[in-house]
Amino acid sequence: MTVDKQTTSEPDIERPAGGQPGQRRRRLSVILGFDRFSGLYVWAALILIFSLWVPSLFDTANNARIIAGSQAITAIVAMGLIVPVACGAFDLSIAGTLGVACCTVVWFQANHHGWFLGIIVALLVGLVVGLVNSLIVVRLHVDSFIGTLGMSSILLAGTEWITGGGQIANGISPTFTAIGQNQVLGLPLPVFYMVALAIVLWWLLEYTPVGRYLYGIGGNPQAARLAGIRVGRITTGAFLLSGLVAAFAGVILAAQIGSASPDVGGPYLLPAFSAVFLGATQVFPGRVNVPGTLIAIFLLATGVKGLQLAGAPAYINDLFNGAALIIAVALAARAYASQRKA
Amino acid sequence: MTAALTVSGMSKSFAGPRVLDGVSLSIEPGEIRALVGENGSGKSTLIKILAGFHLPDEGSAEVDGQPLHLGDGAASEALGLRFVHQDLGLVNNLDAVDNLALGVGYSSFRGGIRWRQERKQARKALAELGYHFDVRQTVDRLAMSERTAVAVARAMGPRQIAPKVLILDEPTANLPAAEAERLFALARRVADSGVAVVFVSHHFDEVFGLAQSVTVLRDGKLVITRPVAGLTEDGLIELVIGRQLEQVERDAKAAERRAVVLEAEGLGCAVLDNVDFAVHAGEIVGVAGITGSGRDEVARALFGGLDRTGEVKVNGAAVPPMRPDKAMGMGMGLVPAERHANAAFMASTLRENVTVVRPGIHWKGGILRKSPERADVAKWLERLDVRPRKPEFAMADLSGGNQQKVVLARWLRLEPKVLVLDEPTQGVDVGAKSDIHKLVDEAAAQGTAVLVASTDHEELVRLCHRVLVFRRGRIADEISGGRMDHDVITAATIGRDQAGAA
Repeated sequence: MTVDKQTTSEPDIERPAGGQPGQRRRRLSVILGFDRFSGLYVWAALILIFSLWVPSLFDTANNARIIAGSQAITAIVAMGLIVPVACGAFDLSIAGTLGVACCTVVWFQANHHGWFLGIIVALLVGLVVGLVNSLIVVRLHVDSFIGTLGMSSILLAGTEWITGGGQIANGISPTFTAIGQNQVLGLPLPVFYMVALAIVLWWLLEYTPVGRYLYGIGGNPQAARLAGIRVGRITTGAFLLSGLVAAFAGVILAAQIGSASPDVGGPYLLPAFSAVFLGATQVFPGRVNVPGTLIAIFLLATGVKGLQLAGAPAYINDLFNGAALIIAVALAARAYASQRKA
Repeated sequence: MTAALTVSGMSKSFAGPRVLDGVSLSIEPGEIRALVGENGSGKSTLIKILAGFHLPDEGSAEVDGQPLHLGDGAASEALGLRFVHQDLGLVNNLDAVDNLALGVGYSSFRGGIRWRQERKQARKALAELGYHFDVRQTVDRLAMSERTAVAVARAMGPRQIAPKVLILDEPTANLPAAEAERLFALARRVADSGVAVVFVSHHFDEVFGLAQSVTVLRDGKLVITRPVAGLTEDGLIELVIGRQLEQVERDAKAAERRAVVLEAEGLGCAVLDNVDFAVHAGEIVGVAGITGSGRDEVARALFGGLDRTGEVKVNGAAVPPMRPDKAMGMGMGLVPAERHANAAFMASTLRENVTVVRPGIHWKGGILRKSPERADVAKWLERLDVRPRKPEFAMADLSGGNQQKVVLARWLRLEPKVLVLDEPTQGVDVGAKSDIHKLVDEAAAQGTAVLVASTDHEELVRLCHRVLVFRRGRIADEISGGRMDHDVITAATIGRDQAGAA
């Protein structure tokens, strides 16, 4: 029988304000929450820099509104992605689902079946995609990364089929576009949908048993099983949710731009992943979370917008998001490693 | 004739008492020697020293008259020492040909591997050991004895120098009884070719059925090396544990026979075979057995962590297999072995680790109330004396003993009808161990039926009213009352297997 070595933590050591588990030393940086809220500090710094660099263009309320409106869709998709990632699964099909939902609701209107029915079917498509993903991952035991990657390719074929290879923009009802384009208090409606979804998901992840089960499965699937958690069922639910949310985002996008084309979903995949993983280093470090993801999205968007206004070429968006994803995963890996002493 | 292997005065200590103390032995070519001793007797340390894994404090060794450079695995191999460890060291998704080449290379390689030639050589190597099977099959499709043959063939394979000594570590631990015979034949063939064979074993049928001589170690010292001929089973047990088995007069805990809470009928798993037992309310029943006996399967099979056949009933209601959530719902709780892999959510807080099994207790008005939850958990941390007593700390920050208490709190909080514990004080310090034992006593006193599977026989004696001893998948003995003694349990776990015993 081996005697366990005592870990270095002493029971009486001072813990920093905020009661962060795992912290051992009281540094000024920790008191100010530099690590947990570093994103907010960086965001504030970026705003400051760009306000000085391109003051006339950047520092306007209009600009802020533009950033908020353009990021709402990405934020919605990213938040839907949080749920499967929390339980340890990748969902790479979210962009494809967004695309198919967008094309579906536009197709229904272009063919005179009405936008309401179009919305219902688009959302159902999202659920079906989620269900198929969960069957592939839970029943067939295919790795979620591979399975949803394959799914995303199938969905791309789906959008090509629905649109016939080109753009559809006719027959869109103004009532429908109002959902995406109207403004309240100077902010486009999608911003409010984003906030509502954020509240719901925050509640789900932090204040319900399901949230505990999700993080449990993500933390240690074997222990989760032996703690009576129904891993298959929860994982299925996670995929259903991300599929539904991605479809919802697709519907809102269609309302926002009033058209659909086969590749409409693609540009949303990487920013969503970057935001989710970068968000895992914020607010509740070591686990993917809603507020962290939102901070990450607006941080990235502010950076990109500022650079564009300062004259950077259009591809700065891809560069920024790619770099952010790499940095985010590296930071997240360090956060996980420091919390989990193997 | 020069001895194949000579060990002189080998000693080693690991920051404390001597684990190996002045051990000397010698083995002749072609001899089959059994190396026998309890856990902690020093036999694995001796093997590891010979393999170059440890450097001894004192002592020397010679292989075929040549001095062995200790502490160097390559030197051991270069002199002709070959090892087959308990896990065999094979890669399951490769075939026999590739496994034989692991670490050795392909002799036919001249710009390209000649597979036909390799397969022929592989078949020949296996045939010399008495095995004929398709060498193109992946190793995970082979029977356990065939896998062991591949491992032995690789160990015996041509290197720079021919093998002189083959050392097998618990070769039949994972073999069903029928296949063990095939392995005996293999060992005899190897010995007939002039190689000395040493095998470490707990199984008496191997010692008596295969070995010509036996070396017994106890507490790091050599007890004796003697021929097997003329030795009785009781005599060997006496050598291993150091004294004669007496009926120890103890004030054994008498179980008040109350209602049966947990029943297992015809329980079967990978190794377990048609096992029946019952646990009464307030009773603490122990499960003992060596590797391969099925002891390590019982806990998970009952709770649903492993697939099983047979019936498990709690208060008469059947528990479906492979459904931990159902077992939980029926009042069962499991504190698994290896908490790092099976029970602990290292990145989560203590509060989350305790409440994960039923977070809904604090569900009110549509949200989980974290303040009452924290207070509830704090109360349990207090009761179990977990240090540091902070519900918001991460599980990874705690020592092993405290982590184990948190896992225990998880289940005690639900007031289970049946509590199953698998190696409950594994990697736990002495203080926490004693605390955990007291908590188990308290749970039983409140009427919980408790089952404890453990390799720590002192723990079983401390806790249990009776102990079920498993051998090769069946219950071979039940120890209670006056026989409740560490050495009696040890002897029972390594006693002679009865083939086909019910």
